[in-house]
Amino acid sequence: MIYVLQILTAFLGSLGFSVLFNLRRSKLWIAALGGAIAWIIYLALGIVLTGDAVRYFFAASLVTVYAEVFARIKKTPTTSFLVSGIIPLVPGSALYNTMKFALNGDWSAFGETAIYTLQLALAIATGIMLISSFISVLTAISQRFRNRFFP
Amino acid sequence: MKTEDLLCISLDIGEKMLISGAEISRVEDSLCRILTAYDMQRADIFTITSSIVATVTDREGRTITQTRRIQKYSTDFERLDALNALSRHICATTPPLAEIRKLLSEVERKRCYPLWIQCGAYALIAGAFAVFFGGTLVDGAVAALLGIGLRLLTYTIYQTKVNMVFANVTASFLLCAAAFLCAYAFPSIQADKIIIGNIMLLIPGIAMTNAIRDIISGDIMAGILRFCEALVLAVAIAAGYILASLLMGELLK
Repeated sequence: MIYVLQILTAFLGSLGFSVLFNLRRSKLWIAALGGAIAWIIYLALGIVLTGDAVRYFFAASLVTVYAEVFARIKKTPTTSFLVSGIIPLVPGSALYNTMKFALNGDWSAFGETAIYTLQLALAIATGIMLISSFISVLTAISQRFRNRFFP
Repeated sequence: MKTEDLLCISLDIGEKMLISGAEISRVEDSLCRILTAYDMQRADIFTITSSIVATVTDREGRTITQTRRIQKYSTDFERLDALNALSRHICATTPPLAEIRKLLSEVERKRCYPLWIQCGAYALIAGAFAVFFGGTLVDGAVAALLGIGLRLLTYTIYQTKVNMVFANVTASFLLCAAAFLCAYAFPSIQADKIIIGNIMLLIPGIAMTNAIRDIISGDIMAGILRFCEALVLAVAIAAGYILASLLMGELLK
């Protein structure tokens, strides 16, 4: 039940951001769905994986695939779908806890959560990086192929 | 057709793309393609988050440089999409400059959602994430109300044109103070969850994502600049929070 609520709120949160980024019509819903999918993947990975960073990494990679695919279908820049899809993964809670520990002067807990937040951010960054680089290589290869055989 | 005018209008397109939230490589690539489509001998574009520098050499061997300074961004993917389509159209058909100007003003006419819908979006985001991070539905409702207040506040701050750091410290301070007050008045409300829900609105998530994308595509300079910008904003938000909780901790004893 709590998972259903999380997926629903992830969807609504991404929907809100898609509105702020001025996406319209079908693009709005695709972007919002990306956020829900990101969280579904994160939750589903919990069955097989225990590390949070690893789960964030795979969730971010798969959302990047989702964004790249739909960007090509809708012929729009990838950023539109990527940014909204990543939103539920943004470690807002971890960041808040870090601030809170700093405020209370609990420096050992501060160090731990700060590193944890950084880990999550890095995991997301690496996920996006890996897939975007892979896809740009793929596009380059397919373009060369097309130029060669269908000039 | 004068080379100066061509360069000027291409820079208009590039500038608008960058403001709408395009990656650096997209801006540079689009400008380069447009300029070469109009039979320029050579086009060199250098873009970072706050500036575009473009130099072209035309067939007669004249070299012209123009620059643009970008002060403010407002992410608008609808406009970015339209600009992207426009630059593809220009490359494919190389229309006369007057037509480009007309098409560009059509893009300019596309509006963003009205303020009340934006308020709704802020409420939706704040409420949804307050619940998402473990708050109750009541926490969500309070967070949503503060979200509306936050939008009105950022709207007002935006009109006064103060700098971003100060704007973020103020927004974060007022937001956290309001959340602590609510929790003080109604002890069943968790101030933490309300603040987290609203902080999602302030966190420079898009700047971070774009910074990473810039760095991957080889625009290290622009990426690092954007990354530092995001980091400074994050520190500003933390400062606002710490100020608010120190003050409220004293007042609400």
